[in-house]
Amino acid sequence: MQTLVKTIGKTLAGTLLAVPFMVQAAPSYDSLKSTLDKLKQQMEEVQKALDEQKKQSASKTDVRMLEKKIDSAAEWKSPNTLVHMAGYASVGYTDSKNSNGSFNSGGFSPIFHFQYRDLVMLESELEFEIEPDGSTTVGMEYMTVDLFLNDYVTLVAGQFLSPIGQFRQNLHPSWINKMPSAAPGFGHDGAAPTSDTGIQLRGGFPLGSARANYAVFVSNGPELTTEYDGSGFELDGIKAEGFARDFDGKKVWGGRFGILPVPKLELGISAASGKTTVTSTEVTAGTAPALAGEAPRDYDVIGFDFAWQYKNLKTRGEYIRSKVGAASAGTSASGGATWSTWYTQAAYRFMPSKYEGVIRYANFNAPGAAKDQKQVAVGLNYLFANNVVAKIAYENNRGQNGSTADENRVLVQLAYGF
Amino acid sequence: MAVQQMKIVYLFSWLMVSKEKLQMKTFIIKQSFLFIITAFALSTSVYAADYPAPGNFQRGAKIWVDNCGRCHNIRGAKELRDDQWISTMFHMRIRGGLTGQETRDVLTFMLGSNTLASKTVVSDASSPASTTSTKGSGLSGKAIYSQTCIACHAAGGTGAFPGVPDFTKASGVLGKSDSVLLKHVAEGFQSQGSPMAMPPKGGNPVLTQDDVKAVLGYIRSTFGR
Repeated sequence: MQTLVKTIGKTLAGTLLAVPFMVQAAPSYDSLKSTLDKLKQQMEEVQKALDEQKKQSASKTDVRMLEKKIDSAAEWKSPNTLVHMAGYASVGYTDSKNSNGSFNSGGFSPIFHFQYRDLVMLESELEFEIEPDGSTTVGMEYMTVDLFLNDYVTLVAGQFLSPIGQFRQNLHPSWINKMPSAAPGFGHDGAAPTSDTGIQLRGGFPLGSARANYAVFVSNGPELTTEYDGSGFELDGIKAEGFARDFDGKKVWGGRFGILPVPKLELGISAASGKTTVTSTEVTAGTAPALAGEAPRDYDVIGFDFAWQYKNLKTRGEYIRSKVGAASAGTSASGGATWSTWYTQAAYRFMPSKYEGVIRYANFNAPGAAKDQKQVAVGLNYLFANNVVAKIAYENNRGQNGSTADENRVLVQLAYGF
Repeated sequence: MAVQQMKIVYLFSWLMVSKEKLQMKTFIIKQSFLFIITAFALSTSVYAADYPAPGNFQRGAKIWVDNCGRCHNIRGAKELRDDQWISTMFHMRIRGGLTGQETRDVLTFMLGSNTLASKTVVSDASSPASTTSTKGSGLSGKAIYSQTCIACHAAGGTGAFPGVPDFTKASGVLGKSDSVLLKHVAEGFQSQGSPMAMPPKGGNPVLTQDDVKAVLGYIRSTFGR
């Protein structure tokens, strides 16, 4: 009983003590309603935000699809095959004394590389040109399969740029050539061979403190054209355009050896030897008899080249002589002939500007006097970028009076290497 | 998959042209253009190849400086993607008579330089950076210059090729403050007229703050006027 009284007493006392606090904490109806409204509003805003986020979020299905795409893309993370396109193009304007100045499209030359790891590469350069009559011609400049045998030897098979000298294999692209034109004798049908079809071994190796590079090849070789003037035949030109046939069945062997005794100086020597045959005739008068029984002729080429770079100055030069022997059998039987050409060139970059001055001297000798040409050319280049070059040049040409080789020219060119 | 697409496009174009019996010349031109377009489409893919084996960055820089400009204007690293550099360098191996090792060295240099500037900051003594290792390699400024900088800046500090600043010029880059030059070295910098930017830390990522300060001190004391 006593315990019960104590308990009741404690309860009453606790209740009395708690009442003041309860009264203080109890909110009014209006306050509660206001709080509830706020909570409701916040709840709606949260729900709205959630709905919005849901719209923008990826679903599990989306994530799975993305994962699949990533998995399938993984095949390209480390591919064995690379596909690459490079090349060059140029446009220009040419004016000479005896012909109207005209705009021209120098050409578009895409280069394709298909590479399988560091084992093999297929290289091909096409050449698109717009002719004066508006027609378009396309040619295969080269197409080779390059097999990297080891660090010092690469097997190059197919139609390749001639490794005789430097110009054709390294300098002919318009964005590289410091002049808008090739030096006389270094273009197509000149003294320097342009391309050939066969196989080639090439590479580089250290030579003490110096470095060396080399190329040796065996090929189908060039073919010859003769000129018929109504009275007889005379050798007219060497067509070294990478023929996919060997008319006389006799191969041409050749190569180039280059040495860099010190950095930025290269000296090279080139040579080729074999047989070549007359396969076509250019008729200037009368009716030429059909070619028959043409005997293979000796074909010998020798060349020397150098390149030297000192600070902003780049100099280079090249000499090439192609000699064709006589033939005593065949419709076009005639004596031999020699084509020779050389040039030397200096280019100076006026730093820090983007201007570059160029000067070139060239001398081309061909069997027909009408093609002989001596040239002094001066040019000024502006490098928008190292691979985008605007060029203007003046060629002072000396040749046979009245021939195109005697015409001075002004050339403007915009070249882009990509 | 891309190769299959190329084959299909090529086969389709072949059949279409044959059907119309166009002349051979037109035929070749059309084929060639289709071929080019296809190649363009394929070349837009992004690659990251696991070959060739890595080469030596510093040797690559020297080979690049000594050889590329002999025939053509030097091309900077950022002009091509890494995969494009691989094919380009193998092409140049053939054209330029490079050895396989030289090719790998130049490629390592080009790919190593073909990166965005590091955000790592090397500061001068007045504002030491807390995020960068400051402990030096122990190499002298001269040794670091000989290993990392000399290929492009040349032994005499005059620049190994057009566009590289000449340290010996009285009004040259050494007129800038240490903090500016240290920032340029740390983050990479392209001088006006230079064909490519100097890569961060000259392409040698192991260099520390103290190393960079040491080499800058060497450059100032040796070439500065």
